[in-house]
Amino acid sequence: MSTAIQRVVVVGNGIAGLTAAETLREAGFDGELTIVGDETHAAYSRPALSKALLLDGDDLSSHELPPTTHGATELLGVRATGLDVDRRLVKLDDGAALPYDRVVLATGSRARRLSDLPEELILRGLDDALALRKRLAGRPSVVVVGGGPLGMEIASGCLTAGCQVTLVSQGVPLILQLGPYLAEVFVKAALERGLTIVETGSARLDRRGGDARVVLDDGAVLEAELVVTAVGDVPNTEWLADTGLANRGVVQVDSRGLVRPEIAAVGDLAAFPTPYGLRRIPLWSSAIEQAKVAATALVRGDDTPPLQFRPYFWTEQFGLSLKAVGHLPLDGEPTYVEGGPGGPALMRWSRDDGSGAAVALNYRIPIPRLRRVSREAV
Amino acid sequence: MRIVLDRPRCEGHGLCEEAAPDLMHLDEDGELVLDREEISDADAALANAAVRVCPVAALRLA
Repeated sequence: MSTAIQRVVVVGNGIAGLTAAETLREAGFDGELTIVGDETHAAYSRPALSKALLLDGDDLSSHELPPTTHGATELLGVRATGLDVDRRLVKLDDGAALPYDRVVLATGSRARRLSDLPEELILRGLDDALALRKRLAGRPSVVVVGGGPLGMEIASGCLTAGCQVTLVSQGVPLILQLGPYLAEVFVKAALERGLTIVETGSARLDRRGGDARVVLDDGAVLEAELVVTAVGDVPNTEWLADTGLANRGVVQVDSRGLVRPEIAAVGDLAAFPTPYGLRRIPLWSSAIEQAKVAATALVRGDDTPPLQFRPYFWTEQFGLSLKAVGHLPLDGEPTYVEGGPGGPALMRWSRDDGSGAAVALNYRIPIPRLRRVSREAV
Repeated sequence: MRIVLDRPRCEGHGLCEEAAPDLMHLDEDGELVLDREEISDADAALANAAVRVCPVAALRLA
């Protein structure tokens, strides 16, 4: 089948696009491969941006990935503006149109913003991270808006840089993502390290006297030299508006990551079948697993085993390193497989439906073993 | 082809072991052990997958 495919275009140069390109080659595609990326940088590791890259002294390489082997033509600093599904063309902002036999939609997502103010900093791309890192050198006072993993990682990085940091969160930080038990563990660690946490129903940004400030639902105002927001992401699907492929801002795919036999969508913009319905799971290993299956399916079709995604999530913040397998958040209390509360620990949660989740906290364990722990009742 | 480990970068996620369990594993202390550093052509795809899945780029092919 691969002999019939002459040209593949991968739109997006994040880990999803990169993995798709490498996998196309492994699946036997030896034709003309083009990757379009709107950033001028080579593909990098996004999880590192809010972790090691914010912290490292002189090391500015923690986000770098190994050299690619796909041999694609890389068009970097170029944005896709449209897709013509009938004529099979990817239209670019430099006026060019790339013909394809197969196309991978992997344009990811961008940070959701609370304002149009240039003072509102976000952390999504490498340039954002380098800009934030530079600002932190002056040890400004910081307000971080957003109590999810990214907001908490940023707050942790700012604290480590020596800043005074206030975190604004809708409810208890991390409770939506991790559940109450683990959220409490992280909040305790954050408070001990000097983070100020402000819970609010909503927050907005405005400007007075040239400085951005955060206004809470009760009218209280938080001022700081630096305002960083981490309030979710928005899939980049506007360029697909005329195609009918994007539905409510996401691209829905089948269990092999395909929208049509010649069109795959992978990474943060794709909603794929999970045990909990069609979901977007904008995480590192999710992007990689989606891309592997979808790129293989573009070449080999229905012979490709469908995606059986097994979640893996990790975060590093406030001196805690967490690795989790299984679907989050987690209700109730865990069983301690190793260790105990307050120390390095290996925990397991069981669900009524027989599924489980395992969490390692400051506890080095290979993922395959963590997965076994998640499956074994103790 | 060889797999090269940059040990200080390794955070012990073990996604590489999951991708290529015949080529590497984490030991009891969570330290990565390369079971085969010289990679045959037959294992090249597996080695590539292991290198690519590492979120901290602690592995590379040389």
